Amino acid sequence: MKRLLPIALCVLLFSWKPPVSLSKLSKAKKGLDLVSGAAHKITEEEEYFIGRAVAARILAEYPLWKSREATRYLNLVGRTLAWRSQRPEIYGGYHFAVLDTPEANAFSAPGGIVFLTRGIVAMTANEDELAAVLAHEIQHVVAKDPLKAIKSQRLKALGTFAADEAMGSGGRVMGVFQESVLDISGTLLQKGYSRGQEKRADLGALELLAAAGYDPGALLSMLEKVKAGEKKKVRAFSAHPSASKRIAYVASGVDRGAGGRNGSARTARFERALSRR
Amino acid sequence: MKRTAGALLLLLAAFGLAAKMLQVQVLRANLLAKPDFLSAGVLAVKKGDRLELLETHGSWYRVRGAGSVMGYVHQTAVSEARASLGTIAPGRKGASAEELALAAKGFNEGNEKKLRGSKGYNFADLEWVMDWNPAAAEVARFIRQGRLQ
Repeated sequence: MKRLLPIALCVLLFSWKPPVSLSKLSKAKKGLDLVSGAAHKITEEEEYFIGRAVAARILAEYPLWKSREATRYLNLVGRTLAWRSQRPEIYGGYHFAVLDTPEANAFSAPGGIVFLTRGIVAMTANEDELAAVLAHEIQHVVAKDPLKAIKSQRLKALGTFAADEAMGSGGRVMGVFQESVLDISGTLLQKGYSRGQEKRADLGALELLAAAGYDPGALLSMLEKVKAGEKKKVRAFSAHPSASKRIAYVASGVDRGAGGRNGSARTARFERALSRR
Repeated sequence: MKRTAGALLLLLAAFGLAAKMLQVQVLRANLLAKPDFLSAGVLAVKKGDRLELLETHGSWYRVRGAGSVMGYVHQTAVSEARASLGTIAPGRKGASAEELALAAKGFNEGNEKKLRGSKGYNFADLEWVMDWNPAAAEVARFIRQGRLQ
């Protein structure tokens, strides 16, 4: 009998189920998680799928520049930076592409899909400046800023629809999915992020550039070009704060001695890849 | 009685000493020879693969993967694996809590399929963008050639 006791204990332990009250608590917590709707509650996989939909929407607005050489090069510069970021591994990996429009702009969809326009690419004079634009966008992905553009009411609504969806009726949930995509694409293309989010992305970009070995001063030189464009009323970074304000804090954050050495090693490949800008 | 207490202690110790398991949370990743993206890949892993945590090195984990291959993986590629007791406990049916939560939020492949073909979405060009996946070795070469780090 004594020998059987440990076995019985094992069986009891493995077959134990939480009492009903605990199970109810767990369900209530799940409901609260959904209702709270904070961006950090969205999983990597969810971020990936909403990012794909946002990117598909952007690609319906702007034609894609299908230059294989330029896109390959852009992805190599982007991955170089992403590896040194706080979020180097992301569900579907980072992807970078160029939109075929003279407007100077850049934006990142959730999940690491980053777009630059031919207009902004044409403004870059070297790989370090191109990297500066990409580093700013990667920092938005790291901070999950695109997800924060989803209105909290959407995710609150999802909390109330959760039971329906679990039962298989997803019409209302599909509506929320589409509305969330519109929230994000509206912020990326028109409304823009808050000044605080932009400042954090700029300052984070300086650190990222230095960590990868690029010249952090390249961000400053790009902002000076944007500022010059603003004076000429060129449509550039329409969803970003004015370049003058950004230059002020970026200039104070630039460590002139950090990174950027051996820039000549990168010049030839920059010219070769983007010769048809 | 002593034997019972001993068996119970042994059981508790076994739970305490159980290896901590991690689960790959990204679609694809590599176990690397060193805690640095520039080092050589030793094992390709995919979403859902389980890895045994051996040590922590800053933001990297030293892990053991399939075939007892050991290597490093960045912490952003993995999450703590859920205890396997749940999977063998009786009474478990259907989707997990995570699967239900995912379905509930609607940000999933099923709803993306419903969007395909809708006006205002261009998934054909998106696939062209998503096809660009430079190999880790190519990125490492690009970094070295550009005198980057």
